[in-house]
Amino acid sequence: MNGAELSLAGVCKSFGGLTVIDHLGFTVKRGSRTALIGPNGAGKTTVFNLVSGVYPIDDGTISLDGEDISIVSPAGRIGHGISRSFQNIRLMPHLSTIENVMLGEHWRRPAFSLARGRRAVESVKAALADAGLQTYPGQVVANLPYGIQKRIEVVRALLAEPKILMLDEPAAGLNNAESDDLRALLERVSARGITLLVVEHDMHFVRRLCDHVVVLNFGRLIFEGTPEEVHRDPAVLEAYLGTDARAVQSDNTAKAR
Amino acid sequence: MQSAQQLINGLMLGGILAFVAVAFTLTIGMLNFLNFTIPALFMLAAMVTWALSASGEHIFALGLPWYAAAAIGIAVAMVASLIIERFTYRYLKAHYGDATEHALPLVSSLGFLIIFEHAVITLWGSDPQRLELPFRDMDLHFAGLIVGIPHLFSLGLAITLVWVLSWLLKRSSIGRALRAIAENPDAATLMGVEVARIVPVVFLVTGMLSALAGILYGFSYSTVTPYIGDAVATDAITGMVLGGLGNVWGAIVGGLLVGLIKVFAISQFGAEIEKIPVWGLLLLILIIRPTGIFGKSRLGRGKF
Amino acid sequence: MSGYMSGVLAVLLINMVIAYSVFLPAAAGLLNLGAAGFVLIGGYTAGGLTSRAGWPLVPAILVAGLFAGVVAFVLAFPILRTRGVYMVLATFAFAEVVGGIYLNIPSLGGATGLSVSTYAGLPVIIPTTVCVVAFVAWLLSTRLGLAMRAAHDDENVSLLFGVNLRMVQVAAFTAGGALGGIGGALLVHQFNFIDVQTTGVLFSIYVLLYVLIGGTQTAWGPFAGALFFTVVPEILRTMSKLDPSMKFLEAGRFIVFGIAVVLIMVVRPEGLITRTLIEKVQGSLRRLAARETAA
Repeated sequence: MNGAELSLAGVCKSFGGLTVIDHLGFTVKRGSRTALIGPNGAGKTTVFNLVSGVYPIDDGTISLDGEDISIVSPAGRIGHGISRSFQNIRLMPHLSTIENVMLGEHWRRPAFSLARGRRAVESVKAALADAGLQTYPGQVVANLPYGIQKRIEVVRALLAEPKILMLDEPAAGLNNAESDDLRALLERVSARGITLLVVEHDMHFVRRLCDHVVVLNFGRLIFEGTPEEVHRDPAVLEAYLGTDARAVQSDNTAKAR
Repeated sequence: MQSAQQLINGLMLGGILAFVAVAFTLTIGMLNFLNFTIPALFMLAAMVTWALSASGEHIFALGLPWYAAAAIGIAVAMVASLIIERFTYRYLKAHYGDATEHALPLVSSLGFLIIFEHAVITLWGSDPQRLELPFRDMDLHFAGLIVGIPHLFSLGLAITLVWVLSWLLKRSSIGRALRAIAENPDAATLMGVEVARIVPVVFLVTGMLSALAGILYGFSYSTVTPYIGDAVATDAITGMVLGGLGNVWGAIVGGLLVGLIKVFAISQFGAEIEKIPVWGLLLLILIIRPTGIFGKSRLGRGKF
Repeated sequence: MSGYMSGVLAVLLINMVIAYSVFLPAAAGLLNLGAAGFVLIGGYTAGGLTSRAGWPLVPAILVAGLFAGVVAFVLAFPILRTRGVYMVLATFAFAEVVGGIYLNIPSLGGATGLSVSTYAGLPVIIPTTVCVVAFVAWLLSTRLGLAMRAAHDDENVSLLFGVNLRMVQVAAFTAGGALGGIGGALLVHQFNFIDVQTTGVLFSIYVLLYVLIGGTQTAWGPFAGALFFTVVPEILRTMSKLDPSMKFLEAGRFIVFGIAVVLIMVVRPEGLITRTLIEKVQGSLRRLAARETAA
């Protein structure tokens, strides 16, 4: 499995006259572990929605390994190697864990093959076990705890065998142990060469997982660099002041210790 | 002359359809809910009016004067509509993650349709009954054309009521609250609109409109059966879609148009063909221009 | 088996086949209030083939299913452009148009209806129903079935995971139409008669209620729904005959039916049979089995 390089150039998007993404351009390098951060309303989730095809872009290009994918249909993008999770859990509430996860590999299976074939079930179970979810295969997801559902979303996205895995706040709502498990899983994913793009508010998580940080504010790029540099950048500090300034500062003190 | 009379007949039928179409469009426009109990309320009011005013062997044969019977008929339908509200719309507020479960109120309203229709059959049987006003001649004759007075009254009343309704929606505080709910029920709740107290108003109005239409229909055609609601409702739904969901004036225009189409189709091709033009038209509009003539596209897509 | 019992069983099984015809689109998140349309198409096609063209029964049933499926396929593309209330109304209008068309075909009996002499008894109905249920169970267990159920829960996310939403919905609607045609073919040969009144305005409503009351999450839903709403009215009718004081149930049984619909929607809004219910039953069975092995 190989990662891919995602690049955005001059991307614009507005909703009813409100510009949400404004001439945005940045590159997520092949095999990198990139974090996309910014204050609330900066347009992070919109970037995910534009890349995965939920909305069409108004202007600019989104390309994967140099190929323009902004013209590919939403259902076709997963075939180009893009898969994602969602900020608010978007699992299929009436399907079991295993069925939800199988949706991830749906695009690469023939329509009339049995979903419950032995080989298919075994490979899915292995993926679940790798994420520590082996105990819940047959259960309806709506009744499972939040942290478990959050991880099922990651496994579903992974089973699509993506070249770039986009996770929208994967650590939100997880306790420390769960968050560490998730990070370990993502490190294993990254070791397989898959490019990671993560939207995350938890800077502690970002600093330990990611090697590159992209900061947005009002739909524009305001900073790009390493997790260490991001705290010293005046533009970033200003963007966060009054919103998440305390989070950044406390994170700085944590690092100083 | 023949076709002038057809035109009048079509408009007279259309007047009643417009009434029912307005009732449908109000619940869809305000609450985004296709209320299948409207035909039941329509029939219930007409049957109650007949039962109370006629003398005979049946239950509740009180021999009341027609206006008292009609008033009680309207009251019964309005109370029934409130009961329906309790078990249908209240559950719209339950949000589920998928498509078919939004059908909940629709299913409940279908359940009520069955309950009321069979309650009436159990009480009074399914035979057609005569419902007549005590006046000698109910028709106006001029220039060789016949115009039914109840029909004329029905059309006039429909237009007057819709005019009053749209005025109230614009001006009154209940009207403003209703429009807020139609826009977004959650936001309306946050803004302090008491949804649970305002929504029953829509159902009261729906009950009143359906009941008036049913009684006028009964007097106009002098016959009532437990099944009169079904055919009228289907035509009224076509009228509503034609006018655009949620648009009261559109419902009036749509109802009149369907009345005309129906009368002309029957006179041209015979009664056997009657289903095809109306339903074919509905199917065609839904596929080609689902917003109707004057409708808003937002309505009727998400929930049922 | 008495004639009465086999009659009730035949009606029950036919109702189940027709319920599955509405279940397939519903499982994919599409409400079809036009079951009567496909039932009429299947009934008139099969009835016409056996009575007018002298076909044997089984091929006539198959061709009826096929023809209804083709109609459903052609209809699916325009119908699927509509959503929500519009789709409910469009499918309902379709059924009425079909009724109107058959009313005006004199060679198939027109307003007087179509009488057929070939009889389909339980020896035909039982295997057909088994095949239909097996087909639905198989379809749901394929990737396509998984995609259908995913589309039911969340269309947008399904799309992002590469589900060809249009294809899945057309497939569900088409397969449902074909099953409706088969149901209609059985119906006409069970009663030796069909006319447009066979499927009145309430017919499609009842079938949709079977499915939504039974539950759209599992293939057991329409089974339970059709069973509940065929057997309960029959029991009420039998009671009304046994005891003169229960005479009111004769006509009143439909009131009980309506009240049951309203109450079930209050108590079990997702239908009688849900995934969670099955999970609970399986859990307690497993505990029971564990206790027995321990003892």
